[in-house]
Amino acid sequence: MLERSHIQSTGFRNTGPDSARTGFEFRIRQANYRSSRLSLIEGVDITVDGILYPAEHNLFRLRDKTYSQADMAAATDARLYVGEYFTVVVPRSGGLEPGVHLVASAIRYRHPYFPPEFQPVVVRDERHATIIMR
Amino acid sequence: MTSQFKYGVSLYSYTDDLGTVMTLDDAFDHVADTGSTGIEILGEASVPNYPEPPAAWIDHWFAQLDRYKLEPTNFASWVDTRIQIDRNMSAEEGAAQIAQDLRLAHRLGFQFVRPKFGVIDGELTPDPIWEPAVERNLDLAHELSLAILPEIHSPTPIRHPVTDAYIAFIERTGTKNFGLLIDTGIFQDRPIDAWGGGATEEIKKGAASFLNGINVPVEHLDDVIRYVGFIQAKFHNIDENLHDHNIPWDRIVPALKRLGYTGYLSSEYEGARDPWVAIEQVRRQHALIRKLEGEWDAANGRARHA
Repeated sequence: MLERSHIQSTGFRNTGPDSARTGFEFRIRQANYRSSRLSLIEGVDITVDGILYPAEHNLFRLRDKTYSQADMAAATDARLYVGEYFTVVVPRSGGLEPGVHLVASAIRYRHPYFPPEFQPVVVRDERHATIIMR
Repeated sequence: MTSQFKYGVSLYSYTDDLGTVMTLDDAFDHVADTGSTGIEILGEASVPNYPEPPAAWIDHWFAQLDRYKLEPTNFASWVDTRIQIDRNMSAEEGAAQIAQDLRLAHRLGFQFVRPKFGVIDGELTPDPIWEPAVERNLDLAHELSLAILPEIHSPTPIRHPVTDAYIAFIERTGTKNFGLLIDTGIFQDRPIDAWGGGATEEIKKGAASFLNGINVPVEHLDDVIRYVGFIQAKFHNIDENLHDHNIPWDRIVPALKRLGYTGYLSSEYEGARDPWVAIEQVRRQHALIRKLEGEWDAANGRARHA
């Protein structure tokens, strides 16, 4: 089972070739009480150590498939289930330094059964998480 | 003569616990130990690989129902009308969603399907496709012995055009396979002090009725009780003195008893989401409602049934 926080400890790592890191990624559990069609997730903004990485540049990996924000908007059948995580892939040349970082996520969910003025709902989490290797 | 409520629990109660500190098998144990006879699920949350659960999971589902002596009650369904940011579902798509959930609910042994339609305004007026989407499924619901029950949920009261439209639909079609589900959050008469609805500070500030309650008079149940197939017993906080801080069970229970309601009260805990708190909160609600039902029966000369 997953950690209670939306942001998970396991999975926080740098991405890209060892000698030329292209970014970092981490796992976020489904933060809604039901499953979400990916078309209902309008984006995931990430902030690490005070630097914002806006949703439009981040990728969203669910199981074995990776989606851009535009791909997600079209994905009406793919679902993120309760008890499952997705991985957000964030571009950053060189990746992050090994050590403890303050990591925040803001998921924009569209709930069609909420009044239009409350769409999307932004669900936030923030915690410390650790990059082990460069 | 038996004229008792049926007691159940919705797995919505264990939101955030399921998937982090609780499995579905754990939930069966917690639900059954309340003395409930019914279990309510959220289709797309509780069924793995929804809408196509593995055959082995279905076998296990029925084995667990048998082991814990529980019957499936309500299958919660969503009709995500604003399916894309720039496109709403057609009536055909809405009908297909409902048909899919009716078939899955039937396969899993359920009696009711609650479609949660997307809305078009702050009064929770459902997207107009609800009517043709449901109407196309009345024959299927009949064939599968299921009732489609949209919910009357705060901030929509009983006396409201949304409810009137559902009742007009029942009257026009003469269907027995469509009715109302009452969420007891409409009776909330004190502000919420522990909310687990998953909404943000922005929403809480912008929607006072969500927090303060719309305090529908319980007597308004008289108008609609004949259409009510199921009740979600929404609550947020019951303390160690069995005092509910928000929902007036001491008025709701006598009203339902007076009206002869013998359907389900299915716990829907929506309070603090700290791990495992829901397990105890649901037990308190069952103790409270059973106590009030017993008192009403004693005062009105009804025999208590084991």
